[in-house]
Amino acid sequence: MTELWRFLQTGYQDAFTNMAIDRAILEAHREGLVPPTLRVYGWAPPAISIGYFQGMNEEVDVQACHKQGVDCVRRITGGGAVFHDKELTYSLVVSESHPMISHNILESYARICGALVRGLDGLGIQSSFTPINDIVVGSQKISGNAQTRKQGVVLQHGTILLDVDVEMMFTLLQVPNEKIKDKLISDVRQRVTSCSRVLGRPVSFDDVSRNIRHGFEQTFAVQLREGTLNAKERDWTDKYRREIFNQHAWNYKR
Amino acid sequence: MTHAHTVYKIPHGKLVKITLEYDPQTNLIQKVNITGDFFIHPEDGLELLETSIQDTFFSHDVIIKRLDETVTAHHLTLIGVTTEGLTEGILRCRA
Repeated sequence: MTELWRFLQTGYQDAFTNMAIDRAILEAHREGLVPPTLRVYGWAPPAISIGYFQGMNEEVDVQACHKQGVDCVRRITGGGAVFHDKELTYSLVVSESHPMISHNILESYARICGALVRGLDGLGIQSSFTPINDIVVGSQKISGNAQTRKQGVVLQHGTILLDVDVEMMFTLLQVPNEKIKDKLISDVRQRVTSCSRVLGRPVSFDDVSRNIRHGFEQTFAVQLREGTLNAKERDWTDKYRREIFNQHAWNYKR
Repeated sequence: MTHAHTVYKIPHGKLVKITLEYDPQTNLIQKVNITGDFFIHPEDGLELLETSIQDTFFSHDVIIKRLDETVTAHHLTLIGVTTEGLTEGILRCRA
């Protein structure tokens, strides 16, 4: 009997809601209220998320973000600052004790990212996982990932770039030295790629979503059944959005 | 009291940014703030690491011993960052 997991498509939300939903699913799974869940989502307006251990003012030009209408939020996961614009973001919530999830964190990155690699393969993109937490096409990054574990539950979320605007990214992130900004932009352009760039055609959110879903089903030998957030998850989303992710104290903690 | 800041790329690891206050008379570290794109599990482990080196001397052996003891006592997993790397970054603040 194939194990049933839940597949959520929550559409485009602001940064604070997106982070609150991931946190709410984690809590609901910990309480045994929902099955393991794969969620795909986008960001509207575009946003910058910083890693749990980063400083907002160190990493982000907050004034430029306000001017451009870009949200700024701190994640519950480590890793680096990410400009979320033309991309698909996924989150996977699953128990740490699930037989397909290694107790070793780096091994579990490899397994979960393996599902993404398989999904990209379905799109016609040959990619590979490169530790610690990236997926690359050749030597160019197409996906970044970050994981946390709380009270026996794993949450991994990450991005798959549909397209990339490096100039805008550097308008919003702090650049240590303006004089080397052009060099940084050119370096990042060489180190980062996107589905559209690899395939030489526009790639839609739905195309990537469908293939990623299939990649997870194959990798974890499960069936992903379409679902929605339950009432408790919606309540927790409102609560976490209001009390954590939309709070200055949280976002500027470091 | 002296304030110092350093940015240090840990070999084969991530970037750490360290801000600290220390007393140059006594050579004692008063307060440390560490940021970066690394991973520590569980996440509140970073605060424990920062606290563990408050009121310690600017000495490689003392700092790394405190950090290692904290990692062991709290079963921390460090990814992209090491106690050796953090110690090196902290010592560079004194230069």
